[in-house]
Amino acid sequence: MAASVFKRCVTAAVKVKRLLPSLSARRWLLSAAYTDTKLWEVRGKDPQNLAVLANDMERTYSKSLPVSSLAVSRFVDNISSREGVNQAEYYLYRFRHSPNCWYLRDWTIHSWIRQCLKYGARDKAMHTIKNKVQYGIFPDNFTINILIDSYLMDGDLKSACSLVEEVMLQEAFDLPTTQILSLYSLGSYLATRPQLTVPEERALGASLLICGLTQDNSIGLSAQLLGNALLGKVEMLKGIHAVFKGMPLDWRHGYLGRALAVMETVAAAPDDVKLTKDTLDYMNDLLQELSSALDSDSSGEESAGEEQEKKEDTMDEDDQAEQANLSQYASRFKKMSSQLESQGKVDTTSFHTLVTTLAQQNLASAEEQDLEQYKSKVQDWEAERKQLIQREMEMREKAKQEREERLASKAAAQQA
Amino acid sequence: MARKKRVRLIAEMAKKIRAYRELKNRPRDSQKYALDYETMRRPYTGKMLPGLAWKDVSRESNLFSLLASMKMFGMGRIFTRKSWLEDHMEPSYWKITKVKVDYIAENMDHGRAWGILTYKGKQESEPREMDKVMYHDWRLIPKHLEPQFKDFQPPPPPPVRFVPYPPLLRAMLLAKHKKAGHGDMAEEPALPLTREILLMKEDLESQDQEGTVV
Repeated sequence: MAASVFKRCVTAAVKVKRLLPSLSARRWLLSAAYTDTKLWEVRGKDPQNLAVLANDMERTYSKSLPVSSLAVSRFVDNISSREGVNQAEYYLYRFRHSPNCWYLRDWTIHSWIRQCLKYGARDKAMHTIKNKVQYGIFPDNFTINILIDSYLMDGDLKSACSLVEEVMLQEAFDLPTTQILSLYSLGSYLATRPQLTVPEERALGASLLICGLTQDNSIGLSAQLLGNALLGKVEMLKGIHAVFKGMPLDWRHGYLGRALAVMETVAAAPDDVKLTKDTLDYMNDLLQELSSALDSDSSGEESAGEEQEKKEDTMDEDDQAEQANLSQYASRFKKMSSQLESQGKVDTTSFHTLVTTLAQQNLASAEEQDLEQYKSKVQDWEAERKQLIQREMEMREKAKQEREERLASKAAAQQA
Repeated sequence: MARKKRVRLIAEMAKKIRAYRELKNRPRDSQKYALDYETMRRPYTGKMLPGLAWKDVSRESNLFSLLASMKMFGMGRIFTRKSWLEDHMEPSYWKITKVKVDYIAENMDHGRAWGILTYKGKQESEPREMDKVMYHDWRLIPKHLEPQFKDFQPPPPPPVRFVPYPPLLRAMLLAKHKKAGHGDMAEEPALPLTREILLMKEDLESQDQEGTVV
């Protein structure tokens, strides 16, 4: 079954290449103006010696005093080599595990990602974003867009999809550029028909669902359908707790039912929304795979007693009741897909082509908006940084004055 | 009264020192609530968790495990508890306003949080400290499901039922009505089964003054 699916996708991919030769040549999406580092490097420099800063921070930590966010941001800004990147990673970890962890600034995070990209430490950036609990790196949408684009430029769809998963975990699909980039990476990744393990399916399904909810057109609805279907498969195999633990997802049973509800809304919608044929085929294959897997499990019950016990740990009575609904879902799906075909609401272009055309049409206008916002944001960050520097200088002067006063009073007391 | 009580100064001092040391060596949240998931035992006290909680502790997460992986520790997001989902039909949730994380914890999954509670559809006005933060019972409400979860129409209060008055009281009411000069009452007087209790002092005092009729 996988082989026939793969053959189908290869022929589809070949067709796509023949029809649109220009798209396959160009692999990146964001314009050069978006990813340009000039605007970032133009801002005021604050040259500091990395070793001196590191010493200061170590001394503050050993006295168990809190390190200021300004010190960490200075360190990250002044990285000049790959070793600096490694050291900065360590200090970010220390900062996160200090009382000031809440105050890690947005511009520090942005600067960190930019520096990682500059010194070729993209995997470090990925590692810190993946372990955001330990490093506290929560990049904003602009930064994440740049990172996703750099991965897409290299054709590394799996990492791009894992970044989309991170955006999904933060539920940060606010900017249209993020939405378009994520849908593009998810669509391209699915078009390669990878072999997915259950956790990967869960992540992919969740990203497709939450990203699809932001779009109202056929792309969004197909993404929601596919997301619900994948999550329904994980629910049937591992139970509902395995689906929503640690992810911003619904805890109610019946993800496949929700997928069928998406199909019903499409069928009942008066305007011209369609579902792509390849998503419907994918869901069909998924349902067949599930029913065969569950049938083989129930027949192999007598022999594999231990496996059944393990499954009972993760699954509940409710989950087993859900499994009983699978045949109903399959029959409903067949009815709905035939109804959609008769209504003409099935789109023969693939999901990947639709997403690429969407990107081509809408990305330029969305980028302009983003760039405006970014410029104003950079100015705000600069103002905040200057304020912090000034505050630090004032506090140092005040501390110096107090110390001098104390020394003077002590000297006067000694003399008297 | 044979003998004056002995003044044990050193014992007093020792008590104060012990209290001071206990205050200084208070365990941090992360130490107190750390848990070994294999044996379901707290390493700090050595005690085991109650058996009915084991299933939940292994499957669900406590609040800070969810907060640690969110931007700004989930300020402004709403969280609900699985026990509330099971017990009450009306939505009950906490909206987070302030977070103080215990930075000693390795995974930042202990701390204190403050927020505004909406219990069974009724929102409180002031933020207060969230209790049972360390219970493995919490669930995040995703942004796309927030409106659906929050919107709650309280069911209309059931209609008030009326019953006839007891005979003596009915006679008193009819007599009062006749005495006031209105003649016979048109409808049968009916007693509503819900009572509005007035808790204002002035109303209680005015009731005392009227006295009974008949």
